Amino acid sequence: MAVAAAAARVWRPSRGLGRAGLPLLRLLGARGLARSHTHRWQQQRHFSSLDDKPQFPGASAEFIDKLEFIQPNVISGIPIYRVMDRQGQIINPSEDPHLPQEKVLKFYKSMTLLNTMDRILYESQRQGRISFYMTNYGEEGTHVGSAAALDDTDLVFGQYREAGVLMYRDYPLELFMAQCYGNVSDLGKGRQMPVHYGCRERHFVTISSPLATQIPQAVGAAYAAKRANANRVVICYFGEGAASEGDAHAGFNFAATLECPIIFFCRNNGYAISTPTSEQYRGDGIAARGPGYGILSIRVDGNDVFAVYNATKEARRRAVAENQPFLIEAMTYRIGHHSTSDDSSAYRSVDEVNYWDKQDHPISRLRHHLQSRGWWDDEQEKAWRKQSRKKVMEAFEQAERKLKPNPNLIFSDVYQEMPAQLRKQQESLARHLQTYGEHYPLDHFEKQVPPNTLRSQAVLEACSARLLHWAGSLVSPFSTLSYTVFSQGLGEGTSGTGHP
Amino acid sequence: MAAVAASAGWLLRLRAAGADGPWRRLCGAGLPRGFLQSASAYGAAAQRRQVAHFTFQPDPEPVEYGQTQKMNLFQAVTSALDNSLAKDPTAVIFGEDVAFGGVFRCTVGLRDKYGKDRVFNTPLCEQGIVGFGIGIAVTGATAIAEIQFADYIFPAFDQIVNEAAKYRYRSGDLFNCGSLTIRSPWGCVGHGALYHSQSPEAFFAHCPGIKVVVPRSPFQAKGLLLSCIEDKNPCIFFEPKILYRAAVEQVPVEPYNIPLSQAEVIREGSDVTLVAWGTQVHVIREVAAMAQEKLGVSCEVIDLRTILPWDVDTVCKSVIKTGRLLVSHEAPLTGGFASEISSTVQMKGLKHKEV
Repeated sequence: MAVAAAAARVWRPSRGLGRAGLPLLRLLGARGLARSHTHRWQQQRHFSSLDDKPQFPGASAEFIDKLEFIQPNVISGIPIYRVMDRQGQIINPSEDPHLPQEKVLKFYKSMTLLNTMDRILYESQRQGRISFYMTNYGEEGTHVGSAAALDDTDLVFGQYREAGVLMYRDYPLELFMAQCYGNVSDLGKGRQMPVHYGCRERHFVTISSPLATQIPQAVGAAYAAKRANANRVVICYFGEGAASEGDAHAGFNFAATLECPIIFFCRNNGYAISTPTSEQYRGDGIAARGPGYGILSIRVDGNDVFAVYNATKEARRRAVAENQPFLIEAMTYRIGHHSTSDDSSAYRSVDEVNYWDKQDHPISRLRHHLQSRGWWDDEQEKAWRKQSRKKVMEAFEQAERKLKPNPNLIFSDVYQEMPAQLRKQQESLARHLQTYGEHYPLDHFEKQVPPNTLRSQAVLEACSARLLHWAGSLVSPFSTLSYTVFSQGLGEGTSGTGHP
Repeated sequence: MAAVAASAGWLLRLRAAGADGPWRRLCGAGLPRGFLQSASAYGAAAQRRQVAHFTFQPDPEPVEYGQTQKMNLFQAVTSALDNSLAKDPTAVIFGEDVAFGGVFRCTVGLRDKYGKDRVFNTPLCEQGIVGFGIGIAVTGATAIAEIQFADYIFPAFDQIVNEAAKYRYRSGDLFNCGSLTIRSPWGCVGHGALYHSQSPEAFFAHCPGIKVVVPRSPFQAKGLLLSCIEDKNPCIFFEPKILYRAAVEQVPVEPYNIPLSQAEVIREGSDVTLVAWGTQVHVIREVAAMAQEKLGVSCEVIDLRTILPWDVDTVCKSVIKTGRLLVSHEAPLTGGFASEISSTVQMKGLKHKEV
């Protein structure tokens, strides 16, 4: 009774309880109340240590009793790794990758061939021959240095300014041109704007226009590679502007939490169209964000092809071995305009551009290096310039002459099989062109199939699409064997449960 | 004094009413007495919480797919996922909270059975979930992504519409993400309000390249989900959440497929065609029965099942027969999918008349 009364005082129940409350409490018993006390507290963990350490599940850290905000360090940011100075001389010999002459010449030829192709295709847009173009001026080092450090079968997700990766992987000029012209040789069937390249054989996923969407996709591909024990890395390129997108945050966080073998390669070229980096972010660039996600990060001189190579090589080795993401921020400069729709003199000075073009260009730096090694000279330079220009011009002239793809291809590949509604739309277009064809430049397109054979044509296309898909499934992005055959570690017939 | 007497008397009334069970529990939790009164204390004027009024009508037990088991809708989903992971070693399931079994228990037991690399939680980020799923599918592996509520699918809208739907087309069939399936709880549940009740199928119906599917029952759900997972195009599978527990029927244990883009005539009739999908199918079935009984009207009821690409022929064939069409759905009226159905049917109907 006394206990119950004491308990009542502790509890301070509402006025409504009053004297009627005591019998009630007696009913429950003081033990009943005590039980409910213990019950609630029992839900907290018991700590074996009497130390006053934080126990929060959300962070592993010590207490501090001084109020202090962490200062973001933007005055003296993450240092920039480089191997060569601006004159192409190796600074620290222990960082020299000691690449064979052949390989370094391939670097040089890829970068210069890309540069030559850029000049000609940019010009062709100005002349109205293609609709649009984006150059890679100044960033060739980021493409080639990183591509060279990867295996040929490593999967590449790009943004739109990574043509040098394809160039290094020997994507033929004919196919670059075909995509820009949207002609019948285009593997993409002429559906996208120029520079939206893709190549299954070379493990380069087709470019799309929305920015940063490739970042979480690359992470998913890396997860699948890990599960398949493919010993492959996925590399994902994006600019410092695209890194502001939510998809970038999503990709980084997923890669870290799901332990994916991926290299995030950010080309920080100073501008997102007209937006300078000072308006893109306030922190220390992109590299500083990596540690926030638990990602190992480095900043490199993107105009130093050996620095890019070394960083990517080491990141690749560790990403595959340790199943964790790496972030490389390659500092560089976008010498050209954003695209043919842009005139950058509207937002930056010609002097600024000239500095980078003349004083800190990845191609000239490598050339100085090659020359100092006796691997290149002015005569070879002259000959190569002539040869590369000839190659590009030949491909260009051929691409111009080819027809555009058949308009029927507007409707295929939307789904794997063509649904009835799309077939009806396709037939409707065919009837329209039969009646009004004179108003369309049909001579520039592969010959239109007559409508009464359209159904059989569609069946044929569907069959060949199925055949191609079946054949295509034998060439996975990761190897020349089909995915399921390759991934024997998943318990299909071989040892164990295969959980990596 | 009066208050004490009143509360004591009231307590006695409660005991008499046998309502002191929950009352005891409330007291045990330490709540001050009088804070919460039993609902019945308010008498006849008391409002019971209203839940959506419809009756789930199970279909007859299927005989052609082997042994069946009583399952509700979430169990049918689990069964489909179990079958998929067993058959396809590349298949993985991921999303928020799927590891412990999911907020609607659709993935219970799967992590233990198939491993933590195959059934796993992701960070709380729908655009990441779908983007990640696309990436898995690009390599040829099977990706089954869960979006916790269809109301939260919008951050992933860019990845679905601009990426997943267009992957094959824009690459000239060099790449595709056909082995991606996105599952999401969908539709009214009674108390969900603005953000746990949405039916966003109309937004996705406007996007060629994906498939959108809504089942009406456990048997339909398992067969349609298996078809979505095996389909070579990215699919969105909306699961009517109110049916997760409310819908119970016999469902085959082994895998089976129900074809996509095929509507089902579930009641034949001659006077009017009624089209619905998901939960509303059961409402419409009741309506058809009532119309027959009270108005002598013979209704043909069609479950659309696949929203995109939808089965134009079945619906049009029915309307040509009956001459009248009514489409009923939960989503907002303006721009809802009923407008696509009615405009297509009218166009075809006029053409039919011309002939």
